[in-house]
Amino acid sequence: MSAEKPATGGRLTVFGGVLRDGLRALVIWAVALAAVCAMYVSFYPSMGGSGEMQTLIDQMPEALVQALGYEEVATAGGWLSSTVYGLLGPALLLVFAIGFGGRLIAGQEEDGSLELEYASPVTRDRVFLERLLALCVATVALVAVVTIACALLVVALDMEVGAEQLLAGSSGLFLLTLGYGTVALAVGAASGRRSLALGAAAGLAVLAFMFDALGPVIDAGWMTDISPFSWYMGGVPLINGFDLRGLALLALVPIVSAAGGLLLFRRRDLMV
Amino acid sequence: MNVAAADPGANDESMASVRPAAARRGAAGDPVIRTEGLVKDYGKVRALAGLDLEVQAGEVFGFLGPNGAGKSTTIRLLLDLLRPTAGRIEVLGRAPAAGSAGLRARIGYLPGELALTGRRTAGELLRYLARLRGGAGRERIEPLARRLGLDLGRPLRSLSKGNKQKVGVVQAFMHHPELLILDEPTSGLDPLLQREVLDLVLAARDRGATVFMSSHVLSEVEDVAGRVAIIRAGRVVDVDDVHTLRRHAGQRVELRFDGPVDVALFRQLPGVHDATVEGVTLTCLLSGEPDALLKAAAAHHVRRWSAQDRELEDLFLDFYRTPDDEEGRTAEPGDTGPAGGPGDSCTGARGDAARSDDPREAEDER
Repeated sequence: MSAEKPATGGRLTVFGGVLRDGLRALVIWAVALAAVCAMYVSFYPSMGGSGEMQTLIDQMPEALVQALGYEEVATAGGWLSSTVYGLLGPALLLVFAIGFGGRLIAGQEEDGSLELEYASPVTRDRVFLERLLALCVATVALVAVVTIACALLVVALDMEVGAEQLLAGSSGLFLLTLGYGTVALAVGAASGRRSLALGAAAGLAVLAFMFDALGPVIDAGWMTDISPFSWYMGGVPLINGFDLRGLALLALVPIVSAAGGLLLFRRRDLMV
Repeated sequence: MNVAAADPGANDESMASVRPAAARRGAAGDPVIRTEGLVKDYGKVRALAGLDLEVQAGEVFGFLGPNGAGKSTTIRLLLDLLRPTAGRIEVLGRAPAAGSAGLRARIGYLPGELALTGRRTAGELLRYLARLRGGAGRERIEPLARRLGLDLGRPLRSLSKGNKQKVGVVQAFMHHPELLILDEPTSGLDPLLQREVLDLVLAARDRGATVFMSSHVLSEVEDVAGRVAIIRAGRVVDVDDVHTLRRHAGQRVELRFDGPVDVALFRQLPGVHDATVEGVTLTCLLSGEPDALLKAAAAHHVRRWSAQDRELEDLFLDFYRTPDDEEGRTAEPGDTGPAGGPGDSCTGARGDAARSDDPREAEDER
């Protein structure tokens, strides 16, 4: 019995388990996201592309246009920026990622279902990192659904958006979503409190969105400098393509929060 | 759930052999579990206040205490779910935090409150837990489930409390761990299944495993445990052989006669404490042999007779009594109060416990 070396879990077992548990929800989210994208993009010919939209924009106060990010809404790239990529996509994806991230450790610990996994021969690093990987993969999958849905419609509706622009937007969308999902995962891992994880991540996301919208209006450049949402959309990737500086800054959010979360998770008392 | 389907003959572990506890205890080698001055604070609340424990290889060790005494805290420290505030822990020769995953591979753990939720079936969860152990124990899921009468195809969230407990039992035992840490293992199970689980414990011990099981009920561990530690307010107050403990606990005896009897006749009998007569009924606490009491009672016409093993709760009351609230009881020489050594710590402090009448006992006649 004690002669043989005790076996510890195979690699990616935790990852597989988490993903399998979340698969059903993931599929539902994918269908919903595809539907929302399809709806909004297909409004373009009758709204953004019809010329009437530009007339409307011209009549609106400049500050409001700026706050809404509607400067380019009459172009195909601008339309995608203002709807799917600038508003609904991030909003829905953030709801998913923050919810998922908050449940992965904190939620499962609070409902007690993590206790057996904690007591199994898996290190805390793996409990955390394989969940982070699951969050990454789930986020990639949903961003891919958004991208593909948009790409199909761009082609079908003959919109003037290049593949590079679309990919640039999607890269930013992925990093933004992953960032706040990771904040939720990390705060949950550090505290074991799901409400704290959700509150912190959602609060920071809302703050980033507000800073991005308000900064130009009240002429506060520091707001857009520190807002991940500005890092994401500030370069208008759907018109201008990849903004490497913005993407690099965005990538820091998941990296820094994951590192901090893991360090605190290693030291913390579990299941208290 | 089909209890009858459990076939005791179907498994190699079903036959519990006679206990060679004394022979195993104190065997060569380091203790499997050792804690020294273990302290655990949750913020300002002190859950463990210097816990000293030593569990030897191959023994079934009972860890008894009421809810909130620190049993689950101790267990979670052993598994590295919690980190100690102060003091030392060693499990299988290693500190839990240093041993990490490799150490937990050698342990089977049954949580006290097992939360199982979600759409996953019992079988899916158990196979997942086996995968986390590199596949260890996978082939025993089916036989163990059959033995306990657990339907592996049912979703976890639809399982009753007893069935969830069975899932916990299967995952704790399936990989033949060297050390079993069981937090209230038979709670929520019907008597037949309690027996089945205790048989698993004995079989594990016979295989050479060490079993550390907590409970707040003495009767839950007394059939299988060799030694027992009693924990109270974060400290071990007594470590003793389970039979010695049972003897200390004694019995509560009630005799009803056909006429009034003189209490003085019974007060002086060996092993009889706290004798009182109310009308035609004598109640007393009995420790040791009942012979003298029976012979004294036989001089009268006995109408009814009941003797009830005192439960651990009563013992705890003895241990909890601090010198301040002992007024009214006659102090006995050598009684050192709650912190007294094994042997004398139970005697002398029984009066109040016995007087806190337990309705259960009145109905139990033997």
